[in-house]
Amino acid sequence: MSTPTRTPAGAPSSVGGPGGRIGDDAQRPDGVLKVRGEFAYASDLWMDDMLWGVTLRSPHPYARIRSVDVGPALAVPGVHAVLTSDDVPGEKVYGLELADQPVLALDVVRYQGEPVALVAADHPDTARRAAARIVVDYDVWEPVTDARAALGHPTWNQVHDAPAAVTELSRESAHLHPHGNLVRHLKVRKGDPEPTADVVVVGEYEVGMQDQAFLGPESGLAVPGEDGGVDLYVATQWLHVDQRQICSALAMPPEKVRLTLAGVGGAFGGREDLSMHVHACLLALHTGKPVKMSYNREESFFGHVHRHPATMRYEHGATRDGDLVYVKAEIFLDGGAYASSTPAVVGNAGTMGLGPYVVPNVHVDCYGAYTNNPPCGAMRGFGSVQTAFAYEAQMDALAAELGMDPVELRCRNAMELGSETPTGQVVDSPAPVAELLRRLVAMPLPPEPATGDDVDLRHMPGGVSNTTHGEGVRRGVGYAVAYKNVAFSEGFDDYSTARVRLEVVGGEAVATVHTAAAEVGQGLVTVEQQIARTELGVDAVVVHPKDTAVGSAGSSSASRQTYVTGGAVKAACEAVRGRVLERARGLVGRPAGDLRLDGGKVVSDLEGVALPLADVLGDDAVEETVEWRHRPTQALDPDTGQGFAHVQYAFSAHRAVVDVDTELGLVKVVEMACTQDVGKAINPQAVVGQIQGGTAQGLGLAVMEEILVRDGRVQNPSFTDYLIPTVLDMPPMRIEVLEYADPHAPYGLRGVGEAPNISSGPAVLAAIRQATGLPLRRVPVRPEHLTGT
Amino acid sequence: MRPFTYLSAPDVTTALRAIATEPGARLLAGGTNLVDLMRQDVERPTTVVDISTLPLDEVQELPAGGLRIGALVRNSRLAAHPAVRSRYPVLSQAVLSGASGQLRNMATVGGNLLQRTRCPYFADGTAACNKRDPGSGCAAIGGFHRGSAVLGTSEHCIATHPSDMAVALVALDAVVEVQSLRGTRRIPLAELHVLPGDTPDVETALDPDELVTAVELPALPVAASSRYRKVRDRASFAFALVSVAAAMEVADGTVTAARLALGGVAARPWRAHLAERALVGAPATEEDFRRAATAELATAVGRPQNAFKIELARRTVVATLHQLTTEGGAA
Ligand SMILES: Cc1cc2nc3c(=O)[nH]c(=O)nc-3n(C[C@H](O)[C@H](O)[C@H](O)COP(=O)(O)OP(=O)(O)OC[C@H]3O[C@@H](n4cnc5c(N)ncnc54)[C@H](O)[C@@H]3O)c2cc1C
Ligand code: SF4
Repeated sequence: MSTPTRTPAGAPSSVGGPGGRIGDDAQRPDGVLKVRGEFAYASDLWMDDMLWGVTLRSPHPYARIRSVDVGPALAVPGVHAVLTSDDVPGEKVYGLELADQPVLALDVVRYQGEPVALVAADHPDTARRAAARIVVDYDVWEPVTDARAALGHPTWNQVHDAPAAVTELSRESAHLHPHGNLVRHLKVRKGDPEPTADVVVVGEYEVGMQDQAFLGPESGLAVPGEDGGVDLYVATQWLHVDQRQICSALAMPPEKVRLTLAGVGGAFGGREDLSMHVHACLLALHTGKPVKMSYNREESFFGHVHRHPATMRYEHGATRDGDLVYVKAEIFLDGGAYASSTPAVVGNAGTMGLGPYVVPNVHVDCYGAYTNNPPCGAMRGFGSVQTAFAYEAQMDALAAELGMDPVELRCRNAMELGSETPTGQVVDSPAPVAELLRRLVAMPLPPEPATGDDVDLRHMPGGVSNTTHGEGVRRGVGYAVAYKNVAFSEGFDDYSTARVRLEVVGGEAVATVHTAAAEVGQGLVTVEQQIARTELGVDAVVVHPKDTAVGSAGSSSASRQTYVTGGAVKAACEAVRGRVLERARGLVGRPAGDLRLDGGKVVSDLEGVALPLADVLGDDAVEETVEWRHRPTQALDPDTGQGFAHVQYAFSAHRAVVDVDTELGLVKVVEMACTQDVGKAINPQAVVGQIQGGTAQGLGLAVMEEILVRDGRVQNPSFTDYLIPTVLDMPPMRIEVLEYADPHAPYGLRGVGEAPNISSGPAVLAAIRQATGLPLRRVPVRPEHLTGT
Repeated sequence: MRPFTYLSAPDVTTALRAIATEPGARLLAGGTNLVDLMRQDVERPTTVVDISTLPLDEVQELPAGGLRIGALVRNSRLAAHPAVRSRYPVLSQAVLSGASGQLRNMATVGGNLLQRTRCPYFADGTAACNKRDPGSGCAAIGGFHRGSAVLGTSEHCIATHPSDMAVALVALDAVVEVQSLRGTRRIPLAELHVLPGDTPDVETALDPDELVTAVELPALPVAASSRYRKVRDRASFAFALVSVAAAMEVADGTVTAARLALGGVAARPWRAHLAERALVGAPATEEDFRRAATAELATAVGRPQNAFKIELARRTVVATLHQLTTEGGAA
């Protein structure tokens, strides 16, 4: 049997290319365009007679609107329309899971930046000036800004700041929504409710609010249709869920609201909720003209949900030998003003929150709360990122308490095939957690930090800021493992639709793949082509533009598209192939089972008979549309949180090596190493790209990325003040990709995108802790946390 | 952005006339700060006077051995200039530690000196800010102030001046030449920026009709042994939490000359005279460096989020001086 691992160096890079099949490195069609600045993003959409739409947003995190006067805005020359919630013809609220968010503010605004009114004008500056003239009279209320306070819990967590004073709130303002401030409470209960253990470690942790920091801000163009409907070109993650919500707000049937995916500049969960979608459609329908909306960077920070900030308390009990006996955890997620995907994030944080370890006795309470902070929802890693910081810090603390090697402790308790998860599910596909760690340990370590004349500042903490030449620098190494459900869970009807056509055009066999699956930069279009080439034995595969003319593909999130849409494309190709071979059977005179498609021909392995597809198909096209589902999952038991809730798990592990300038509190991540099991690498080059990108995003959260919110207001809505890693912060990587097939998944593949984003940050934290000896209970870690000043 | 009249100044006199006659006129050099603030609606010029093509873009040798740097010399050119690199390495390092390559290609010496604070409330039109809107209060005090000043603050404003270049210049005894229709005058750089007091909206000693035309550096042998250190949240493209510009000469283990300035801690690039006095004549040991830094920071006032800067500044001073004693010489 061949080795199940790959390294980037070992993977072939020249074969495949644009014509690659499954397992080949396939070049992305958008790659060169993006690097050259030639890729057309949604913000590049243009029609000659279009208007520009802008949004007036609330400056207050919590206020009642006494009145809105749009008169002065309408009086501005060049303005075509000014709209408020009165102009929303259908449902005035929307939402992914719960419809609780106003399309335009009703009587109360619940977060800073909530849309209040819209303007369409012939120039963006005219629209902006007009919006500034709308007079909104606010009765400003005291915002609720602490998730635990919002739920009436005592404030037990004092990580760095003193807890915010719990203000006396009137009953009216304390309840942000009629149903109260609790979005979801998930209980996981397993085993002995009152377990005891030889060794117990307790820790409280806090994770700040991270932004997706995608580079292409929210943009789209709505074009009124001749049938009274509307066509929307938009950068998004799930066209059909957008369509459902737009239809409801516009009170229109789906056939009148048609969506096409425009060029997406990154998503990471931030495009799962609506932003300008309904707004642009409303303006276009009102004015009868195409309307473009494109946020600038500052507005973008208010235009999408962020990663939930979390406060967590964990208690781990183990035997003296290092076997986990129990884990108790209390997890609070601040969902901000509206529900968005908070219920699902709570589901993930609660069920994934103990990590890839076998724990016989479990007691977890995970809460999602409403506050007047910015709404939080989907972001890469979705509930697992926050909890991984806590459970991995706990594993290290436990190892220290036991005097054990932290990797050994993890391997000893690692899940494997056949283990039972904390939610009572039996792991029914490979779970090489221990192997991932052991392979990391076996990798060579980078050289010790240079000193004296050999110092290259770029490799030092502080970089070319010239902060240290090696003095005060201490090295640390840390490990962490990610555990993430792939695809939608808890009984959700998770499917994708693929339409595949095979025909002969100009003598060449051409397959066309049509799905609504959003290409958000992850490389899905290449995967679709590779699958069609493999299954249909043709070189030319056209990927149809992504739109709602075909059925839903589900979201490009939860690491699910290669699995679910990949599965749908594979199934549709198989259906097409079955029909083609059936036709060929008569011509070749062999049973269809002996035949296959290759090189644009029908081939019989037994006799080598080759019949060009042109002879089989003539002028006909064979087309099949398939709706494909993964195995059904189940809802969790409401009292115990037990059940078959997840269809697949993703595992990755990181080793971080850091140098810390302990004098000035600066961190240089020297190297990141990652091992990940992907079941089957459909496009190995893209897998490596996902691992590198996810690692950078996790590193960013560990040491710099945080949306600073004070009294419900965002303090740093710009890339000057919200820092993300640059090329100088991101170190070289060692990557090993394992391929242990999941027997339940198409080609045995496993979702890739999120896991490396989960294990990277906690590994960096572990390394900094090792270098400094500090407990570091809060991320991101900043210089003042390291210098103790 | 609000509408404005654009004037490309063909010569210095035209530019001076425009700012003398129109109170709402603003000078545009590299535009990397002004245009951002216009987009954020903080700056609302009625006329934008583009001075970027004026012939103030040369670095010249002065007869007495110093350098005269035109106000429109781009930051990247200044940092790369051979005379700056060899005779004033701290200046070259300070400029290179700021912003990014692209920004430094646009940014000018004059614009860098006169860039505005990065206090988040200054750029947020909905927040109270005495600097932007006198009398409205200071949202940073009691609000988010991790980046704010610890030296020379007032109860009306605790903002910092963000420039790195200016920290090096103030350590080097630079002098600013300014022109107006009324004539030319010279202001020591140390006096260009003023502390907030009860008028934080007044940021410099310039009159509204004055244009910075050049910065002059005196001949300063000690500057050949000089360093800039900048502590920040990521390795590039971030403003200083604390920075130190230092030049020092040591003979027989005793400090014979010292120039020291701090950045990221005050509304002006902070020349550390107290520390310099403590250093000169004292042994060149870490203990003495620490004593000098402590003397300078004795009046520092920290608040809950930025108190860490005081100790960080001390440590950065000690580390920079220590590096100068162990390495000596120019970079
Ligand atoms: C993302 C980002 C990161 C940055 N990071 C750093 C950093 O780390 N360190 C740092 O020091 N700086 C940093 N900067 C700031 C940058 O250095 C300044 O924006 C730049 O130096 C300003 O120069 P300019 O010529 O573009 O000025 P402009 O924007 O043209 O002008 C700035 C101000 O100076 C006035 N002005 C310009 N020239 C003159 C003159 N000759 N006489 C009188 N008034 C004049 C203008 O009217 C205006 O008020 C950063 C900027 C950005 C955008
Ligand atoms: S510190 Fe100064 S600039 Fe910042 S809010 Fe206060 S007054 Fe304004």
